[in-house]
Amino acid sequence: MTTSTLTVAASTKNAFKIYGHGDEAVYALRDVSVDFYEGQFTAIMGPSGSGKSTLMHCIAGLDELTKGSAVIDGVDLSTMKDKALTELRREKIGFIFQSFNLVPTLTADENIRLPLMLGNNKGNEEWIQNVINTVHLRDRLTHRPSELSGGQQQRVAVARALASQPRIIFADEPTGNLDSTTGAEILTFMRKAVDDLNQTIVMVTHDPVAAAYADRIIFLADGHIVDEMTEPTAERVLDRMKSFGN
Amino acid sequence: MFRIALKGILGRKARLVLTSLAVIIGTAFLAGTSVFSATLNATFNNLFTDVFKNVDAYVRSSQVIEGEFGVQERQRIPAALVEDVLAVPGVKAAAGDIQAFARIVGADGKPLGTDGQGPPTFGGVFTESFVSLWKVVDGRAPKGPNEAVVDEASFQKGKLTIGKPVKIIGQAGSREFTLVGVTSYGDVRSPGGATFALFDLPTASEFLAKPGFVDDILVAGDGSLSDAALSQRITDALTKKIAADSSATAKIETLTGAEITKETQDQIGSALSFFGILLSVFSFIALGVGSFVIYNVFSISAAQRERENALLRAIGASKKQVTRAMLIESLVVGIFGSAVGLVGGIGLSKGLSALLRALSIDIPSSGLVVKTNTIVETLVVGTLVTISSAWLPARRAGKVPPLAAMRSTAVEVIATGRKRTIIGFSVMGVGAAVVAAVVAGASTSLLGLGILLVFIGTIVLGPVIVRPVSLFLGRPAARFRGITGSMARQNSARNPKRTARTASPVLIGVALVTAVTALAASIKGQINDVFTQQLKGNYVVSTNNRGFGGLSPSLATDIAALPEVEAASGIGQIIGKVDGKGQFLTSVSPDTVSSVWNFGLINVDMSALTADSIFISRKKSESKMLPVGSSVTVVLPDATTHRLKVAGLYEQNEFGDYLVSKALSANTTIASFDVGVYIKTNSDVSATKARAALQKAVDKYGQGTLLDKQEYIDKNSGNVNQLLGLIYGLLFLSIIISIVGIIITLLLSVFERQRELGLLRAVGMTRSQVRTTVRWESIITSLLGAALGITLGIGLGWVIVFALRDQGLTTFSLPVGSAVVIVILSFFVGVLAAVYPAWRATKVDILSALNTN
Ligand SMILES: Nc1ncnc2c1ncn2[C@@H]1O[C@H](COP(=O)(O)OP(=O)(O)O)[C@@H](O)[C@H]1O
Ligand SMILES: [Mg+2]
Repeated sequence: MTTSTLTVAASTKNAFKIYGHGDEAVYALRDVSVDFYEGQFTAIMGPSGSGKSTLMHCIAGLDELTKGSAVIDGVDLSTMKDKALTELRREKIGFIFQSFNLVPTLTADENIRLPLMLGNNKGNEEWIQNVINTVHLRDRLTHRPSELSGGQQQRVAVARALASQPRIIFADEPTGNLDSTTGAEILTFMRKAVDDLNQTIVMVTHDPVAAAYADRIIFLADGHIVDEMTEPTAERVLDRMKSFGN
Repeated sequence: MFRIALKGILGRKARLVLTSLAVIIGTAFLAGTSVFSATLNATFNNLFTDVFKNVDAYVRSSQVIEGEFGVQERQRIPAALVEDVLAVPGVKAAAGDIQAFARIVGADGKPLGTDGQGPPTFGGVFTESFVSLWKVVDGRAPKGPNEAVVDEASFQKGKLTIGKPVKIIGQAGSREFTLVGVTSYGDVRSPGGATFALFDLPTASEFLAKPGFVDDILVAGDGSLSDAALSQRITDALTKKIAADSSATAKIETLTGAEITKETQDQIGSALSFFGILLSVFSFIALGVGSFVIYNVFSISAAQRERENALLRAIGASKKQVTRAMLIESLVVGIFGSAVGLVGGIGLSKGLSALLRALSIDIPSSGLVVKTNTIVETLVVGTLVTISSAWLPARRAGKVPPLAAMRSTAVEVIATGRKRTIIGFSVMGVGAAVVAAVVAGASTSLLGLGILLVFIGTIVLGPVIVRPVSLFLGRPAARFRGITGSMARQNSARNPKRTARTASPVLIGVALVTAVTALAASIKGQINDVFTQQLKGNYVVSTNNRGFGGLSPSLATDIAALPEVEAASGIGQIIGKVDGKGQFLTSVSPDTVSSVWNFGLINVDMSALTADSIFISRKKSESKMLPVGSSVTVVLPDATTHRLKVAGLYEQNEFGDYLVSKALSANTTIASFDVGVYIKTNSDVSATKARAALQKAVDKYGQGTLLDKQEYIDKNSGNVNQLLGLIYGLLFLSIIISIVGIIITLLLSVFERQRELGLLRAVGMTRSQVRTTVRWESIITSLLGAALGITLGIGLGWVIVFALRDQGLTTFSLPVGSAVVIVILSFFVGVLAAVYPAWRATKVDILSALNTN
C-alpha cells in the first residue's frame, strides 16, 4: 500500500537480525523492509517468537541489526554511537513497555517528565498539562508507582511517551498485563493521541482486539513480513491469523 | 540442603567475591598486624641474641631505681673492675661497655639523627675484643683521647672522611675528634637505625659518662666453667675486691649471657607489646566495622533471594533448612574470606616493614614470622565473625512466607518500624542519662558504658534517621544535578536500612577520628594556656632526650652569663625513690628559676628549697597526705638516702609532682643534665640580636634546640602529634573499609536495579548520567555517615575531655578544621567508591534488563 500523502517516520530496509553463528544461528528477522507512516497507528502482530519485539527494538535504537538498515527521521541508526542513540531515544522516541515502565523512586509527574528532565528540557508545559488531562492523571501526580494500580501505571507510561512530543512512539504489548477493560482504556488513549494529536505509534501485540485499534497491521511470522492489513477489525484479524494456522 | 547452599554460592561467583571481600578486609588487618608484631619481635630477639652471642657473663651495678613509664637509672661501676674481672680464673676476655648519648655532626655541620625522636644516637666503647661484635670495616680502631670511629651508615650519611676531623656532641658538650675508621656491628651497618660514635675506653668514659666509670662489663669465659659458675666466681671476686677498698660504695651483680639476653629481649618485648596492642586494637576495630559490611551483604543477598527462598519454602523446605542453607553459605564465605585475608595480611605486614625501612629504620630482616597462632586466630575469628554477622539475615531468610514466591518484585522490607524507633531512642536515652550522671558527678568508670549505649542507640536508630538526613544531605545534589541528583537522593533514601548499614563504617570511623581529634585539639589548647601562663621567659633551649641524655648543666650557666640575657635557669630531671616508689624529681636552681618559670608556689618562696627540703604539688600533697612540715625519704640512684622536709606546695605540676634543688644531687655520681634551659632576655636587646647570641651559645654545645616562646609552645603541642598517628591510622582504616563497604552495597544495588537502569537507559538516560546518579548516591551515603559520625564524635570527644578533667584538661576545643577535612574526605570516599559500581551500571544491557521478568 502506497499513498503519496503519507510521510515515512521510520523504516527498515532488508533488515536481518541473527543470533548466534553457524548451525545454531537463529534468524529473528530475515529481510524485513517496512515503512511506518506519520500520524498512523501501526500494529505489529505475529505469534510468539516471530520477531515482533526484535523488530521494534531495532527500529527504536535499543538494539542493532545484523544486516540492513533502520532509519528514524531520516537518520540511519547504524551510523550512531551510544550517546547519540540515547539522545535520539530521549528526544524523538517514546516508549511504552509491557511492565515495569516506571522508576519506582519518582512520582507520577516526575516519571511523565523523565525524558525531558534527562535532557534538561522543560518541554511544552501546555502540552504536558493537556496530556495529563487526557490520561486522567491529575489527582495522581504526586503518587509513586507503588501507590498506583496497573492501569494507572500504564497511563503514566502513555503520558510519558506523549509528553516529549516524540516523532514516534513504540509500545511493546502495552496492555499485555492488564485486564480487558483497563486495556481498552489505554488503547483508547493511544487511539486518541493519533486522532487528536497526530501522534505516530507503532505497537507490538498478539491480541487481535488490541490490534483492531490500529490503522494498519503488519503480520510477522518466523522473522518475515507475511501480510498487511489496513482498517482492521478484531474479527478480520482473527480470521487472518487463523489462516496462518496459528 | 548443603548441596543447595553450595550451588547457591557457586552459582553466583560475583556475590561470593563481594561477600568475601568484606571478610578479607577485616581479617587481613588482623593477620597483618599479628604477623608484623611477631616479625618485629623476632627481629629484635635475634638482634639481641647476636649482641650477646659471645657474652658468657655480664657485670653491672645492682643499684637501680625504676622511675615511671619503665624508665630506670642504674649506677655506673668503676672501669678498674675490668682488670679485676680479667684476673678471675676462667675468664677469657672482658671489656668495659658504655651506652650513652652522642651525636655525630655531618660534614655539612648538621648533627645526624634527630633530637629525641626516631632512632637513638649512641656513643660507646670500641674494643677489639672477643665479646664485642663491633669490627673495623675501613681504617683502624680508635686509640687515645682524640680519635673516634663511626658506624658505616652514619659515615655515608654524614659524608665523612677517614683521617679528617669529626665533631661529636656528647653529654658534656661537643668536641672534635679525628675520624680514624668505620665500623659495623656484626654484618649490620646501623642496628635499628641508630647512629654510633665509638672511642677507646678511657676516652668514652671521660667524654660520655664519668671519668673512670663504665656502664657494664662484658665477659667471655674460656669454656672451663658453666656460665652460671663463671658469673658466681666473678661476683665473689669483685665483692671481695670492693669490700677491701673502704672508699668504694659500688655494689655489683653478674648475669649470665642467657639472662642478660632474655632481660633485654623482654624489655624490648614489653616496649613493642604496647605497639602490638595498638595494632591489634586497630585490627579489631577493622573487623568490628567490617562485620557491618558482612551483615549488610548478607541482608541484601537474602533480600535478593527472597523469591528463591520462598519457592524453596513453597515446595517444602522448612524454615530451619532455609536458614541453615544461608549459614552454610556464610561458613564457606567465612573460611574462604579468612584464608584469603590471611594471605593478604601477610602481604600487608610486608608493606608495614617496607614502610619502616622507608622511614630509615633499618632493622635486620629476619623474614616474616607467621605463627600457627596467627593462622588459627585469623581463620577462627574471621569465620566466627562472618557466621555471626550472617545470623540475623539468615534467620530472616527462613521467615520468608512461601507466598512471597508469587509476589512480582522482591525488595528488602523497607518499613522502619516503630519498635525500632522506640528501642533506639530508649537505648540512646539510657546511654545519655548515664553520661549525664557521670557529668553530674557519678563514677567516671560508667562513662564507657554510657558511650557504648549511645553508639548502639545510634546504630539502631540509623535506619530511622537515614531517610530524613539523606534527603536533606541530597538536596544540593538534586538542586545542582537536576534529575540525576534527585534520583540519587531518592535512591539513598529508598532503603534506609541498607543505607544505614552502608554508612555505619563511615560513621564509626569518623566518630572515633573526630573524638580523638577533639581530644588532641583540647590538649593543645590546654598546653597553650599553661605555657603562656607559666613560662615567664621568652626563649627556651629544649631537648627531647628526657631520661636519656639532655643538656649539659654548664649551658645554662654560659647563657646566664651573656650580656643579652637577664636571667636563665636550667631545669633538670632525676630519678629517685620517694617513700619507696620510683619517681621523676624535677631539679631546679632555686635562685634563678623563679624569674623564668612560674610554678605557682603557694605561700612560699623558692629560696625555701634547699638540699634538705622538697616542694610537692598541691594535688600530690593532698592525695599522699604530705602536708607542709612533714618529711619524705628520697633514695637517689647512687643509693644515698635523704630525709627531706616538705617546705612548700605548688599548683602547676607540668614538670611533675616533686621539686628538688640541684644542690641535692650535686657532688654525687648521678648523671645530671637539664631537660631545658629557660631564658629571659634583656628587654632593651632586639629580638634578632638576642637570638643570634643565644644561638651561638647553643651551637657551641650542639645540644638541644633554641626556641622562642611560641615555638616552644608549638613544640610541646607537637607531642600531641603522636595522637595524630593514631588518628591517621584510624582514618586510613575507616576509609578503606568504608570504600569497600560502599562498593559492595552499590554493586548489589546496581544488580538489583538492573531493570530500572535498563528502563532509564531506554527512555534516554546517557551513560554519563547513569554514572552521575550512582556517584551521587555514593556521596550522599558517605556524607551521611560523616555527618552522623562527626556529631557523635564531638559528643564523645567532649565526654572524654570531661572525664580527663582531673588530669588538668579543663577546656574543650571543637575540632572545626578537622571536621571540614573529614567532610571533604568523605565526599571523595563517595566518589572513589562509586567508580566501579557506576561503571558496572553503565554496562547494564538495556534489552536483557527489560526482558527479565
Ligand atoms: N538475545 C537473544 N539470543 C538468542 N535468541 C534470541 C534473543 N532474543 C530473541 N531471540 C530469538 O529471536 C526470536 C524472536 O524473538 P522476539 O523478537 O522476542 O519474538 P516476539 O517478540 O515476537 O515474541 C525468537 O526465536 C527468540 O528466541
Ligand atoms: Mg515480544
